[in-house]
Amino acid sequence: MTAYETVIGLETHIQLNTLTKIFCACKADSWEDAPNSNICPVCTGLPGVLPVLNERVVEKAVLLAEAMHAEVQPISYFDRKNYFYPDLPKGFQISQFDVPVALGGYLELPIPAAADPEGKGYVTRVRIHKLHIEEDAGKTKNDGNERQVDFNRCGVPLVEMVTEPDLRTADEAAQYLIRLRQLLRWIGISEADMEKGNLRCDANVSIRPVGATHLNEKTEIKNVNSIDSVREAIRKEVERQTREVEEGNSIKAWTLEWDQDAGVLRKMRSKETEADYRYFREPDLLPLHISEEWKTAILADFPERPLERKARFMQDYNLPEYDADILTLERALSDYFEATVKTYGGDSKKVSNWLMNDVLRMINEDHLDPAAMRLTPQYLAELLKLVDAGTINITTGKALLQQVQESGKAPMQLVEEQGLAQVSDDAAIRAVCEQIIAASPDEVAAYRGGKDSLMGWFVGQVMREMRGKADAKLAKEVLVELLK
Amino acid sequence: MELCDLSAVEVRDLLLEKKVSAVEVLDACQARIDAVDGRPGTLEPGGETKEDAQRVHAFITRTPELARAQAEAVDKQIAAGEDSGPLAGIPFTVKDIFCVKDTPSTAASRILANFNAPYTATAVERLQAAGALMLGKVNLDEFTYGSSSESSAFQPSPRNPWDTTRVPGGSSGGSAASVAAGEAFLSLGTDTAGSIRQPAAFCGVVGLKPTYGRVSRYGLIAFGSSLDCPGPLARNAKDAALMLQAMAGPDPRDATAATLDVPDYLAALEKDIKGKRIGLSPDYFQITFPQADGAYSQQPVPEEMRAAVLHAADIYRALGAEIVEDVPMPNTRYGIPVYFVISRVEAASNLHRYDGVKYGYRTQQAVGELKDLYRKSRGEGFGLQPKLRILMGMYVSAAQYSEQYYRRALRVRTLIRRDFEEAFDPQGKYRLDALLTSTTPTSAFPIQDVYGDSVLMQYADQLTVPANHAGVPGISFPAGFGADGLPIGLQLLGPDYSEATLLQLTHAYEQASAGAEWRKKRPAVLEVR
Repeated sequence: MTAYETVIGLETHIQLNTLTKIFCACKADSWEDAPNSNICPVCTGLPGVLPVLNERVVEKAVLLAEAMHAEVQPISYFDRKNYFYPDLPKGFQISQFDVPVALGGYLELPIPAAADPEGKGYVTRVRIHKLHIEEDAGKTKNDGNERQVDFNRCGVPLVEMVTEPDLRTADEAAQYLIRLRQLLRWIGISEADMEKGNLRCDANVSIRPVGATHLNEKTEIKNVNSIDSVREAIRKEVERQTREVEEGNSIKAWTLEWDQDAGVLRKMRSKETEADYRYFREPDLLPLHISEEWKTAILADFPERPLERKARFMQDYNLPEYDADILTLERALSDYFEATVKTYGGDSKKVSNWLMNDVLRMINEDHLDPAAMRLTPQYLAELLKLVDAGTINITTGKALLQQVQESGKAPMQLVEEQGLAQVSDDAAIRAVCEQIIAASPDEVAAYRGGKDSLMGWFVGQVMREMRGKADAKLAKEVLVELLK
Repeated sequence: MELCDLSAVEVRDLLLEKKVSAVEVLDACQARIDAVDGRPGTLEPGGETKEDAQRVHAFITRTPELARAQAEAVDKQIAAGEDSGPLAGIPFTVKDIFCVKDTPSTAASRILANFNAPYTATAVERLQAAGALMLGKVNLDEFTYGSSSESSAFQPSPRNPWDTTRVPGGSSGGSAASVAAGEAFLSLGTDTAGSIRQPAAFCGVVGLKPTYGRVSRYGLIAFGSSLDCPGPLARNAKDAALMLQAMAGPDPRDATAATLDVPDYLAALEKDIKGKRIGLSPDYFQITFPQADGAYSQQPVPEEMRAAVLHAADIYRALGAEIVEDVPMPNTRYGIPVYFVISRVEAASNLHRYDGVKYGYRTQQAVGELKDLYRKSRGEGFGLQPKLRILMGMYVSAAQYSEQYYRRALRVRTLIRRDFEEAFDPQGKYRLDALLTSTTPTSAFPIQDVYGDSVLMQYADQLTVPANHAGVPGISFPAGFGADGLPIGLQLLGPDYSEATLLQLTHAYEQASAGAEWRKKRPAVLEVR
């Protein structure tokens, strides 16, 4: 039996998070707004209107191009893609065609062990074919006998990004979307929420015998709106194609639609019935010139990419890959980590532990933005230093995290206000230890009889008596001495 | 001579001197319209009466209340000594291809007959802001697709005020006719292949197609978006300058509007034309027709057209200009074929939005699926010209034909532009300030004579269309009458943004020919009353 490999290319539509639409001043984000409440003559294509390009769209596209290592074109053009549909009020979509805003590029894709059939994990590189800017269309829905149109989404800016057919498994496709989503949020150009349609994906799928280099006829899967669905739809399509080929049938270049509820693919159309979009240059817009100066200004604050930062964290801070991965899932968290490490100056693995175990839990439970927390990196560093210096013990330190976040007060201030500093006075501790020993003749006898494990109990009693402020290490030393 | 027969500048001075009121000026125009315009065009015209045949029929929609209210406001401002704007109290008409808030904006098409625009086009907005009084919307070829105004869905279509058996030209036929008949001082037209200049020539008025982008297209219902230019029609160069001044300039709503500063057109008018270099080209003294077999046949423009051009050249020479002969413009002949392709592609796409879904005409027939709604609404709503243009536009931009038609046409368009660049190059061989030609190959043709032959009709634009391809400005001005008693128009074409020079040269010609006998002639519709 022939073994087949899967060849996948992804086309993603990325809604940019600009304030206004691409060609008019209407609000771009209509999430939960009433239908047709963010519209104007321009985005509804009334007779006589003209588009005027929103420069923020270009800036965000350039940021994405840079993130993908793509080549921004000094001149690109807008074209009209002509077709009839009720959600397309002009009867054409303003898009880019043969000379798009950016060409080429790639995304390094680490595939985790769980998604590797061999269970080891690997890194693959997905090449980008092109990125182009376009306007979104509206939405239609059927309501009884009526077909209703909502133009709110008309003119919302999109970047369509097309990969080369470099993905080989449904899991790789899913990983691509996960990493792309991370990157989009990282550079702040899209909310990248697939459920909200900020990030949409069409998958081109074909199969070929393992070892072959040619591309077979592909099908295009549309309307998949979650990462899990993409994985599932591709798996089903690969199964179908394999079955067809093994039965001696040929694969037809169909467009398939993913039915989320039924979990099945349905044929939308065959290639023969596909429209000729009669692309031609949009005469209402000038060629898009992106000068070196403009590009430089746009990229002035371009951040380190997430995978680069992850690698650097492992290198510079000696973090395990697991830590580095989690700490770079979001840019704000990674910034938080690094700012804390720099202020702290101590063991970065300790910072990582505190962040991943405690701070991250606070962030997740209370939906906090790391960049806007009252527990600032400076305060966290201060707190860690207090623990290191023995001013407070670890338990107090962890309790203080929440208090700093709630009060916004510096850890030191809280320690002073509440008298939380641990007691390191040998005499005070000795007094309490003597008191405990005197009150616990049985335990003393048992300990002296060889039950060493009771030491923990004695320390605990001292801590309780001193309401947790005792320097536990010192208390133990005193107890050992007194119980000899 | 009545109040409405003066020039806009003369009336403006009378208004500022408080010798007349804006309401009086308006009333004079309304009276003239009532007297000579006849019934406005409608979708269901019924039979044409004998009276219809003697009227101008410039209008589709009159907006008298709006004009009246604005005239009264202007009078108040003038009485109070406030700045009422450079066009205060001057009545004008608007080609019904511009959107004007809360007025029907029909494009002379059934498909938009019920469309009331919710916003106003930039050019109209600026004229109104300058104090001009909008009398209403005037007729045109459907969606501007024609050169005679006969293809309007609103009939009767406009007639030539000099001879009502003749067309006024087109597509800005209603504009030119309304200015020629003294119904309005100014009219806002559009020029995609000659649609301002050709009717201006046919009706004996001045028509200026500005440089592409000089006047915002926002609110102009698009035909050929890369060719369309809004511009003034007026009685003389000075009025046209005044009107252009009010409209020209950058517009944040039109990305293709030029961001260059607007010069003072009126100040430029009075400058000496001494030393200006005016060119004559053999390629503009002949008309080239393609034949069925693909070969071209050439014929010279009529002798009286040629004579008018040469006479104007003599006048300019006498005024101190240099006449440069034999300027080659070899790609002029491709203007129409290239236009057939480019304008149709853009038109077909621009017409996509009229689908019966959102506004405008929707079929009354029962429809099955969505495509059925599209098909019937568009089939019933569009007239012949839009349909022809959609068919051709779709064809020449189809994936398998685009290279041999559309893309090829774009390349030839570049060659046409190059002709002008070489002629106007300040360091080049010819160094022209302007090229002088006749505006049209013929004077106004009889109604029904050419209508129906789309190709022949298109060739009425042969001498005007190259300027649209090149984006350069052109002006048409009256230069006497032919043996048929109809106006002859001459055209000056200049380099990008040379409107001031074109207006100045036109003004110089007007001054030099002010005493000519032909200037005393009045349109026939005014004589028969």
